[in-house]
Order: sequence, then C-alpha cells, then structure tokens
Amino acid sequence: MSPLAVAMGRGAWARLGAGIRHHKMAAFGAGIVALMVLSALLAPWLAPHDPLEQDVLLRLAPPSAEFPLGNDSFGRDILARILWGGRVSLYVSTLSVLIAIFVGGALGILAGYIGGLFDRVLMAAMDVLLSFPTLVMGLLVVAMLGPTVGNLILAITLTAVAPFARIARAPTLTVKERDFVEAGRALGFSHLRIMVVHILPNVMDDILVMAALWLATAIRTEASLSFIGLGVRPPTASWGGMIREGFENILDAPWLAIFPSIAILVVMFGLNMLGDGLRDTSDPRLRHE
Amino acid sequence: MSKASQLPLAVDGLTTAFRVEGRWYDAIRDVSFSVARNETLALVGESGCGKSITALSIMGLVPKANGRITAGRVLLDGRDLVPLDETEMETIRGNAISMIFQEPMTSLNPVLSIGFQVAEALRYHTPLTGEAARARALALLEHVKIPSAARRFDDYPHQFSGGMRQRVMIAIALACSPQIILADEPTTALDVTIQAQVLALLAELKSETGMAMIFITHNLGVVASIADRVAVMYAGDLIEIAPVEELFEHPMHPYTEALLSSIPRVDRDAGDLKPIAGQVPPITAMPSGCRYADRCPLRVPRCATMPPLVGLAVDPNHQVRCWVRAADESVGA
Repeated sequence: MSPLAVAMGRGAWARLGAGIRHHKMAAFGAGIVALMVLSALLAPWLAPHDPLEQDVLLRLAPPSAEFPLGNDSFGRDILARILWGGRVSLYVSTLSVLIAIFVGGALGILAGYIGGLFDRVLMAAMDVLLSFPTLVMGLLVVAMLGPTVGNLILAITLTAVAPFARIARAPTLTVKERDFVEAGRALGFSHLRIMVVHILPNVMDDILVMAALWLATAIRTEASLSFIGLGVRPPTASWGGMIREGFENILDAPWLAIFPSIAILVVMFGLNMLGDGLRDTSDPRLRHE
Repeated sequence: MSKASQLPLAVDGLTTAFRVEGRWYDAIRDVSFSVARNETLALVGESGCGKSITALSIMGLVPKANGRITAGRVLLDGRDLVPLDETEMETIRGNAISMIFQEPMTSLNPVLSIGFQVAEALRYHTPLTGEAARARALALLEHVKIPSAARRFDDYPHQFSGGMRQRVMIAIALACSPQIILADEPTTALDVTIQAQVLALLAELKSETGMAMIFITHNLGVVASIADRVAVMYAGDLIEIAPVEELFEHPMHPYTEALLSSIPRVDRDAGDLKPIAGQVPPITAMPSGCRYADRCPLRVPRCATMPPLVGLAVDPNHQVRCWVRAADESVGA
C-alpha cells in the first residue's frame, strides 16, 4: 500500500462514510448528488433521444409523452440535453475541484509546515487570487485564452486553489506542533513523508467538506460562463448554455430555461446539504449527540 | 579513544547553544558520558537543566532556526554523528537510535491505526514490506504485551489507554532493533501502577536485546529502580556521574547531595527535608564558572572558573565536576 493510499484510504474516508451514514441531511444530500451523477454517467443509455438531433416540426414544442421536458428552438429533446449536459457540467466542475484540491492542498500544507517567509509570500499570492470574484477570474481567463473546455477548467481551478490552500494551511499550523510530528522526526521520517503520511490525513476532513461546497460553486461558475457564451460551445449541451438559449424564448416556451435551471438547483442543493452535513459531523462543537 | 569507540554511544564535550534575542547562549556545556551495551544510564535533573536538549542533540533534532551544536562529538559505534547531514541522520534515527517520548497520548498520530504506525517504521528502515512488515509489527505488539494484539492491530490510538499507548510507542521504538534507546521521561504521564509495568517491560526488553538505554527522568525513585549508572545535570552542566548505588550512598557534588536530601521519605521526619536555597540562574545570566556556585555552601573563589569533570582517586568510575569535592577526595583519599 502506498503512503498516499493509506493517508487517504483509512481515517478520512472512513470518517466521511460514517458522517454520511449518521447525519440525515448529509445522507440526503449525498443521495441527490449520487442520483444526478449516475444519471449523467448513464446519459447514453438513459436519454430517449440524441441530444443533437434537430427536428424543425418540434421547434419549441411543449412537454409531451415522447419528449417529457419538451423541445428547444432547434427541436432537440430537452431531457436528453439535460442528461448529456450534466456530463459536461459535472466533468468540468469535478476535474477543476480535484486539481484545486491537489494543488491548493499541497501548497497549503507546504506553507503551513515550512512557515516563515515562504508561508507569507505564498499566502499573499493566494490572497491576490482570492480577491478576484469567481466570475471575473473566469471571464479573464476564458476571454484571454479562448472558450474551450480546457480553459474553462483552468479558470475554475484558479479561483478554487486559494481557498483550498487556506483550508489546508490552517490545520497544518496546529498539527505540525503536535508530538507525533516530533516523534516521526525521531523515527527518521523525512519532512515529505511527515507531510504526506502524517499531516495530510489530519487535514483531509476539512478539505473534503470544502470540496463538496466548492463543487457546487464550480457548477454554478461553469453555468454562468456558458450562459454568457464563454463556456462550452454549442451545439454541445451544457446546462448554462441551455438556459441562455431558453432565455430568448422565455415568454413563449419557458420550459427551455426552467428545466436546466432546476437541474442546476437540485445538484447545488444536494452538494450544499452534503457539505453542511459533513461540516456538522466533522466539527465536534456543532455535534448534537 | 579506543575504549570509547567500542561503546555503542559516547558523547564527548557536547555543547549546544540557543539564540535568545539575537545572542547565543550555551544551553548545555561540555557534556560527556558514554553508555555500554545492556546498560541503563539515567540522566537526571530538574526541569530545564538540559536533559531533553542533550537527547535532541544526540538525535540531531535541535531546532535549526534558533539552536545549534557548537562543540563536541556524538559517537555512535565510533562514528561522529554531529557533522552528518539530514539525509544521513534520517537513516540513523529510528533505526540505530530510537526515542520514546513522554506523552503517549499525543505522540501517536490519531488518524492512523497503531498497526500501521508500527509497520511504518519497519517499511521505512528495513527491506520488509506488505504482509511481512505487518507480521513483524504484530509480533512486536505481542512482544510489548498488548493483549489480543491481532484483534487490536487496526484500532486507532484513541481506543487505547495511556499505558497501552506507551507500549505501542515502545514497540515502534524497538521495531528496527536499535543499539541505543533514548527514553525521555517515558513514565511521567502514567499512573504509578502502569509506570511500574512499563519500567519492568523496558528493563526486560533491554536485557533481552542487549541495547543501551539512556533514561531521562526527574524522578529519583524511578532512577533507583531502573538505572545502572546515573548522570546528574544542573543548569546545562553534567556535574556528577556514578554507578547508581555509589551515587545514592556517596553523593559528591554539593548539588547532588542537596537533591538527595530533598526527597521525602516515609521513614524520616518531614522536618529533615532540606529545600535547596535560591534558584537556577536564567540562561541569559549564567555564571561562566560553576553554575551552582551561587547556591553552594562550599563556594570558594576558584568556583568562578568552570571545574572539569574528573574521576575520584578512590573510584575513577565516579566522576564529579567540583573544585572543592574533587580536590578533597583526591588529596584526602
């Protein structure tokens, strides 16, 4: 077993699981998220129609038995597009949050562990990143580098690195002073090993709670950027893009914008419930029992 | 030096300085002692006398930001550890020299299972991996007498009592069969009954493996029960070193004398207890000569220069750092 597998595998995930099982809100949130993720993953099998197939006769058609959520301005099936769009939204947001956890977590632990000038310079840089509102940062990156999925991920990652660095640094500052770090040094462990095997698992709880909340933010940012046309390019379905297309016909055919909005709402609601629930279970001061 | 090079550990003239408000002060001065195989040397002294600094200096763990070894050698099997770099020291720590800490409650990582923490030292320092490391770790836990060790292997530290956790710490320290074990007040945080069990376990393990043990404590009762020899420290100086019975029966240094007569004993009147007048000088205002001089009833002008640690004429194994007493004995003997 690699040190990283151990560090991630035992304590934190086990506690995460227990937290979800014992906390109703967290379990409910996790259920919603799992359902949405599954439906996106299984889109090719679940979707009744091709999300790109156009049909002029079905232009702006209201919900029907064959097309339960109606059709858009090109006559495409909205249900299929929501399922396929979920893949894009979840892919972009999950990947950017994962990169942000990795980079931000590593920077935060390094800064907290090394301390001194390194810590101050790095955290000042993070403060600069934090000062950009998420959407402004997204606009900046996508406008400069072009609206591709890769740049979208880069933009969201850039806004999420700083919060993860902060959340990882704070507990590192206290954990590094604990006796087991000194004991690890006395056992000959290198600083790198102490950071990865001994400090990371103590910091994982906080990072996982943040991850759930930031996934919601990332989904929203992706939708916002797609809404203003800087995200995923048509005809590929994405929730933000669908809302924008629907916006043009909001009065004659409101279902175009409403259904993808509901999809975003439900996922964000689930993720926030999960994140808040996890925070409750990981923070003993908020524990009720 | 040929004699010292055969000993597992010899400390020679070790001086470690710390920076306080921009100036360097010696926290320990000219500390010299050695430990033989299968021998327990107790390092005693009050809080802040430099016992733990001595241990950290031997381990090469003096915090670099404001501390450094300014003189002396730490010879492990004749090889000086002081000039070694961090990477070389990492192969020695936990392997040839291990340390047991005072606080078993906080010296184990709360989010890693105890089995993993014992096996980790093995995986790191020995070629053992996977199942082999796990099996050896389990054997170690059984060796330190953890009841139903196999069942408790994957338990976390909070599921263990203080005494059991200290046994786990001992198992970790012993994992790579060290030649030297540095025990820094390993029983201070434990109940008296558990203390006795842990001391017995340490003594048993030491005689089994033949390792040398440096036992740091301020508890003279513990010293009497576990040590072969005793080194007494005062304000960063090693002032007296002698076989345990010799030290208790014939303390030579005025501080050792005063220390022994300040232990409460059930068979004596409490009125016989003599507190030591005065206080340890702060590190920023240490006298350059004998650091006990200010509180010493035997003070003479010569005490303004630092006395050497010399063996007594009657018994060269009994060394004392005192102008008055060393002279008395060598002349009067």
